[in-house]
Amino acid sequence: MPLIAVGVNHRTAAVDVRERLSVATSQMVPALEALRAVDGIDGVAVLSTCNRVEAIVSATGEDVIEPIVNWLTQRAGTDRAELEKHIYILRHGDVLKHLFRVASGLDSMIVGEPQIGGQVRAAFMASRECGSLDSILSQVFDQTMRVAKRVRTDTGIGELAVSVPYAAVELAKKIFGNLQGLQVLLVGAGEIGELTAEHLSSFGLEQIFVANRSHDRAVELAERFHGQAVKFDGIEPYLATCDIVIASTAAPHFVIESSHVERALAARRKRNLFLVDLCVPRNIEPAISSIDGAYLYNIDDLQNVADANREIRMQKAGEAEQIVDREVDVFRRRLVAQDAVPTIVELQHRLEDIRTAELEKCLRKIGPMSPEQRAAIEQLSTQMVNKILHYPILQLKEAEEPAERETLRKTIRKIFGLR
Amino acid sequence: MSPNFTLYAALALYAAGTVMALVTLFTREKRPQHVALGIMIAGFVAHTVWISTICIRTHHPPLTNLPEAAGFMAWVLFAIELALFIRYRVHAAAFFVYPLVLMLLTVSAVVHEPFVRSAAAVSRLFIAHILLTTIGVAGLLIGLAFGALAWAQDRALKSKQRGALWDWIPSLSVCKTLSYRALAIGFSVYTLGILAGILWSYKTSAELMDVRVKQVAAAAAWVLFAIVLQAYVNDTYRTRRTAVIGACAFVAIVVAILGIHHV
Repeated sequence: MPLIAVGVNHRTAAVDVRERLSVATSQMVPALEALRAVDGIDGVAVLSTCNRVEAIVSATGEDVIEPIVNWLTQRAGTDRAELEKHIYILRHGDVLKHLFRVASGLDSMIVGEPQIGGQVRAAFMASRECGSLDSILSQVFDQTMRVAKRVRTDTGIGELAVSVPYAAVELAKKIFGNLQGLQVLLVGAGEIGELTAEHLSSFGLEQIFVANRSHDRAVELAERFHGQAVKFDGIEPYLATCDIVIASTAAPHFVIESSHVERALAARRKRNLFLVDLCVPRNIEPAISSIDGAYLYNIDDLQNVADANREIRMQKAGEAEQIVDREVDVFRRRLVAQDAVPTIVELQHRLEDIRTAELEKCLRKIGPMSPEQRAAIEQLSTQMVNKILHYPILQLKEAEEPAERETLRKTIRKIFGLR
Repeated sequence: MSPNFTLYAALALYAAGTVMALVTLFTREKRPQHVALGIMIAGFVAHTVWISTICIRTHHPPLTNLPEAAGFMAWVLFAIELALFIRYRVHAAAFFVYPLVLMLLTVSAVVHEPFVRSAAAVSRLFIAHILLTTIGVAGLLIGLAFGALAWAQDRALKSKQRGALWDWIPSLSVCKTLSYRALAIGFSVYTLGILAGILWSYKTSAELMDVRVKQVAAAAAWVLFAIVLQAYVNDTYRTRRTAVIGACAFVAIVVAILGIHHV
């Protein structure tokens, strides 16, 4: 039973093509039904994210590719020849490898990004819920999610931050562990600072205080984070209570100085203080980094962390590719063996019938014999049948290409007179 | 099953687990680290059987001579490490604790001292002394291990350079908390153990303390750990001075352990 994937992704098609092909959640059921109605398609799932639109099908033959391309052309509302420039068509083992790589984040724009795993799961779940997933695709889906989990667990590919705001979050976790219950002071309303505070706020912070030269803007930001606006010139007391300070102002001078931090740490009773300076010119005095208990990172430091993480991610991607290759090999063999099972069982029954019938005839002709003699003859016939079956079964199990397997199956059925 | 068989089985498993854990320090892979932990747990089971066998054979804790005491100390150390792993999912201390456990059990396997059934060994005060000091020392060693991790994490964060342990070390806050708690609890228990020893010594020989290597090293370790603990209370644990004193405390404890001979 061939597996086929037809689609476009961020490498083959620009965003204007992808957006025309994308399938919104509300359109998913009709899309699946339309594809399921194609003659020869047994199971179908549609993966539609901002970076890709793909139809993954299990079918009786490759003649289903044509209708799938037509379906895509119809969605794109464009000339078929134009769309074909962007389309890729994958078959059999390549589909498995592609799915495993996609779900593991190896085919993503930012390698290792974790969201794609959830998107693949959602695509298959939608297909399962509307009854478009046959047993083969169901197994493929389960295995895809298992491989994605294994890749993430074994390599930790998604754990490292590759952007400045996430690098700040990663460092905060390295200092404080659990971010729940911590307090953050956001000084200034710069874009990266705001983004960093937004990422941090998703980890269950207790409170975010916002200070800005324009108090109205501080109030606006504080409302967004369900925090509290504070006066820009009155931030020093908050250094003693807040655990993370993010400076992101346009001020041309230091807003937070060593003396502020020394006084704050004395009042903090041994609790560490993480300071993030995202401004150029810098807003936090660099000498603070030499104070025990204060950890200061500026924009370059965070960029270095993100760059180093990106390099490590690429190394981990190499390990992940090896895991994917091994898993594809194992799963493909399992699918092939499974596909051959009905023929193998039928073949075994057929030869067993012949063996028992001929044995009975033979035993009748020979006449009375001891139980040992009868057992020896039975064993002889069983061994002969097993030896005859050995190579045909092996060939069936090892034929990886569906076309080759189908030819072999037909030949065996013909030779042994199977129905 | 021969007691020696379980001892050697535990030793072999600990050796395999330790080597595997140390290899992951360089490869940064998580799966081998989990496998290493599994092997160490298998070793711990064999170790437990060995200790139980001694307890059943002698009718008191396995503390009558150096091999037994070192083996028991290794067992308590790994038990604490395992409890911390279950609670905090922290692998990093393994890089310090596994080799230490292996070293102590190697002492048990290599050093041959006769089992001496003395009246003292069945005295409740003596057993309390040995049990409390052993558990206290295990706590102090675990505290030192996490203290070293906290120090390494602090250095890495300050220098903005990932060290080899970066991926394995838990957050600075967890290292600091675990180190402080282990040191505080270990120190309290160790102090009670020493007091029980002094009382036992006074009761048996009318002297508060012998002046032998074991006793001097144990007393020195107590003073040094008190200084390290004080550094944690004052939040000056990051200094070179504390690191040096911590190292000296470790050496003093090792000397005290190796100074154990039959009573």
